[in-house]
Amino acid sequence: MAAHNTVATSNARKQVAAGGWLWGAVRRNGAGYLFLAPWLIGFFCLTLGPALVSLYLSFTNYDLLTTPEFVGMQNYVRMATADPKFIASIRVTLLYVALSVPLKLAFALAVAMVLNRGMRGLPFYRAIFYLPSLLGTSVAIAVLWRQLFAADGMVNSLLAQFGVEGPSWISNPNYSLYTLVVLSVWQFGSPMIIFLAGLRQIPVDMYEAASLDGASPARQFFRITLPLLSPVIFFNVVIQTIEAFKAFTPAFIISGGSGGPINSTLFYTLYLYQEAFSYFRMGYASALAWVLVVLIAVFTAFSFLTTKYWVHYDD
Amino acid sequence: MTDAVHEVPGRASTHPRLTGTVRHVLLIAISFVMIYPILWMLSGSLRPADELFGGDAGLMPSQVTLQAYSDGWFGLQVTFGRFFANSLIIAVLATVGNVLAASLVAFAFARLKFSGQKFWFALMLGTLMLPYHVTLIPQYVMFRSLGWVNTWWPLILPKYFAVDAFFIFLMVQFFRGIPRELDDAARMDGCSPWRIYRKIILPLSMPVLATAAIFSFIWTWEDFFGPLIYISEMSQYTVQLGLRSFIDSSGTSSWNELFAMSLLSLVPIFLIFLFFQRLLIEGIATTGMKR
Amino acid sequence: MNTTLIGRRRLLGAGLAAASLPLFDFGPAMAQQPNSIRMMWWGGDERARRTNGAIALFKEANPEVTIESESMGWDDYWARLATQVAGGNAPDFIQMDYRYMVEYARRGAIRPLDEYLGKELQIADFGQVNLDSCSVDGKLYGGNVGINAFAVFSDSAAWEEAGLEAPSYDTTWDEFSAKCAAFTAGNTRTRMRATADGSGQEGLFEVWLRTQGKALFHPDGTLGYDAADAGRWFAYWADLRKSKGCVAADVQALYKNSPETSPLVVGRAATDFVWSNGFESYQKLVAAELSLVGAPVLEGGEPGQYLKPSQMFSISETSESPVQTARLINFLINEPAGAKILGLDRGVPASPKIREAIKPDLSEAGRKVVDFISKVTPQVGPLPPSPPQGAGEVNALLIRISQEVGFDVSTPEQGGVNLVDEAAAILRRT
Repeated sequence: MAAHNTVATSNARKQVAAGGWLWGAVRRNGAGYLFLAPWLIGFFCLTLGPALVSLYLSFTNYDLLTTPEFVGMQNYVRMATADPKFIASIRVTLLYVALSVPLKLAFALAVAMVLNRGMRGLPFYRAIFYLPSLLGTSVAIAVLWRQLFAADGMVNSLLAQFGVEGPSWISNPNYSLYTLVVLSVWQFGSPMIIFLAGLRQIPVDMYEAASLDGASPARQFFRITLPLLSPVIFFNVVIQTIEAFKAFTPAFIISGGSGGPINSTLFYTLYLYQEAFSYFRMGYASALAWVLVVLIAVFTAFSFLTTKYWVHYDD
Repeated sequence: MTDAVHEVPGRASTHPRLTGTVRHVLLIAISFVMIYPILWMLSGSLRPADELFGGDAGLMPSQVTLQAYSDGWFGLQVTFGRFFANSLIIAVLATVGNVLAASLVAFAFARLKFSGQKFWFALMLGTLMLPYHVTLIPQYVMFRSLGWVNTWWPLILPKYFAVDAFFIFLMVQFFRGIPRELDDAARMDGCSPWRIYRKIILPLSMPVLATAAIFSFIWTWEDFFGPLIYISEMSQYTVQLGLRSFIDSSGTSSWNELFAMSLLSLVPIFLIFLFFQRLLIEGIATTGMKR
Repeated sequence: MNTTLIGRRRLLGAGLAAASLPLFDFGPAMAQQPNSIRMMWWGGDERARRTNGAIALFKEANPEVTIESESMGWDDYWARLATQVAGGNAPDFIQMDYRYMVEYARRGAIRPLDEYLGKELQIADFGQVNLDSCSVDGKLYGGNVGINAFAVFSDSAAWEEAGLEAPSYDTTWDEFSAKCAAFTAGNTRTRMRATADGSGQEGLFEVWLRTQGKALFHPDGTLGYDAADAGRWFAYWADLRKSKGCVAADVQALYKNSPETSPLVVGRAATDFVWSNGFESYQKLVAAELSLVGAPVLEGGEPGQYLKPSQMFSISETSESPVQTARLINFLINEPAGAKILGLDRGVPASPKIREAIKPDLSEAGRKVVDFISKVTPQVGPLPPSPPQGAGEVNALLIRISQEVGFDVSTPEQGGVNLVDEAAAILRRT
């Protein structure tokens, strides 16, 4: 990089005579753009370019082997009117997001509150609670989950000790999605750590003043903790929701790639994968990808719009 | 930063000893529930094959054997040793790429001045929100036409172009915290931007570089989707793909082997966790990384 | 932070050193020499053991050839094969199913084998029928690995314990359901029911349709049955579920088209429906002695069963070592040394010569399969037309709809309507 830089500089110097303006621009911006170069190349070749191509492909039928055939809005129309699997995957994904995110964050906040009060052994607990988050998306954990909730898995043998005969959780469409929600809640560690960091920012004297005024712990929670923590909560909600929209591996492993039984674990991303890489419908899959962008964008915009009602920022 | 500062007196004054004990009991119970599945997997991997089934939720095997580890290791046509080596190479190369590229770009955003800087920075932040599915198919088509499907290039090369904007953002935040006077002084001495980056910024940024490296390594190690799409030959598989093949080829009889290999696949992450826990937790706390 | 600093520097240094070397030659793209064969098949442990044994023998005789093989479950296999074909790196050696043959052949993903006939592939004695069944548009696309017929596997002892006789060749559909209901009454095994839930089994559905003069697909590629037919099919199984004659839906949902996941193997049913080539694998996994007979019949109906090429071995269009692959195929299906090891796992060999050669080595279970094929042969009808593109997706759909009915998400009638509607949509689209 250093060598390039000097070459560029000396080249530029030769041009001084030719045009001072150009040389000035290069001298002012050259170094910046050189350092920026990796990202610029990546942005144009691996992000923006592909994104535009994908937008184009979403208006085509494309099976990788023949050239894309332009079909206008057909893919989007089909999605909206004639694709039960699309509807199923949206339903599954929204349900998953709506259940897993609030539960996970509620749990994370509750544990963070318990941990926050300067207790002995905090690093130990924090580490234990964080570990599942870290291992979270690996295939190994999905394998484990499959076995925990199998007909003769650990959960059922625990239930059996109480005389309850549990169903085969993962192969029953009434329960299979909930096993994935449990898996997600189990990984509450990283939002918990963010909550812990947020809780530390709240000045202790606010609580002192409140308790001198005789405010109950519940009142302190609603009047001090929640409002002051709201930017952190907001942040966690946005990040976790986007992540939940993108979840893939656990559903893939637990359903063996099918999203079954009866599409009950057909996450949106899994459906996209099937359309693209099982059925070669690259055009349709691209359209699905863009609908995902819109979904996430709408959600994010919506959250930002509501912030003024519940997120409390310091002046 | 000691924890004592955060003691909240209002509550603690009632029954300090009692609430403290209750809280510990509660936390230990939660810890146990959190860890139990992993311990159960460990115990399952140490059991003889015929003992795993028949619904035993307990942790104690009647007989401890490492048979599942050796059987599982050689359970596929290609040994797990190969998968581990593959994963390691890919993860290390990807990590180097991420750290290198992200630090260069972050330096440009945080320390250099050039026209269009704000514009590019906003774009960069914008890509944070973009789900990778949007670029997935054209990237696949592109790598396919380059003949790179079933090679590791698609898994490694993009990292050298800083496609994961998250790391750039992380480093920009950190670099901005380094006093500007240092660069100004260096610039006075005639230092080139490269020397400032290399001699001043990088040495002062070890914590953030290490954090980025650790997360980059873990994410690449755990990545399933990328290898699933791009790698088809078993000798090129990563550990995650190897495990997935193992689910397919092992019947109900060899779950202990599957558990053994699953557990092994977690060992590198667990080691990182043991040694770099502090960095991981600080990384998350300060930047709000996703996991 | 000091330790990290050193650690990181070392790490980075090592990484860069590593990077400068292997970046230029890693990846298998360049390792593809004409003598390396990559093969893929679906199937369970038993098939993997046998196939790998045969491969080892081939390698012994041909030390210059390297073979890398991989096996997986049915669903996964097709998803992965599709991805690889799309990625331009299909395995050389492809295990092909009758259902997907047309699709892959017409897409140009597998290559015609006519040029190897009489040279690397010596399969003329298979008979015209067994060559035609592996041909598309007059060209041969695969080596017939075995003959197969749809069968009913039963644990006869479990049936006897329940005071009944296991289903036999002339059991009608009505008798079958009555038997299964009766099984529950006499059954002493707590977790076991009479039969697996066959409503999502395309092979069984096809036999049932054919006994009534219908078909899965017409020769023009449209559906060979209507919503009412499908509705009656789902209703038949809904009744069995209600009488506890067949396993509950959540048990059946675990079945992933492999012996290891069959309700019969995991001890939840005394009977399951499987293509006859699966018999030995099933027997290996079950302690009790199994028997196999033809699928139920319809009194006064047409013959439901047919003899199908169980699988074919095909060569991908992009293979760089087609000649060696053709030799390997020939070794596996037409040379006694290789074919003996495969045995009947993929079906009864089409070649009379091989059938003779393997006879002495057959296990008890193997003899039962050969016996079954000869007993069922008088009952078979003609080979149905090769299924249209999208047939694989229709199969996945049948499984899903059968689950919807099984879990009471929809009624049998509604299930029939949904199946026909969605299947028609799939067939129109592809």
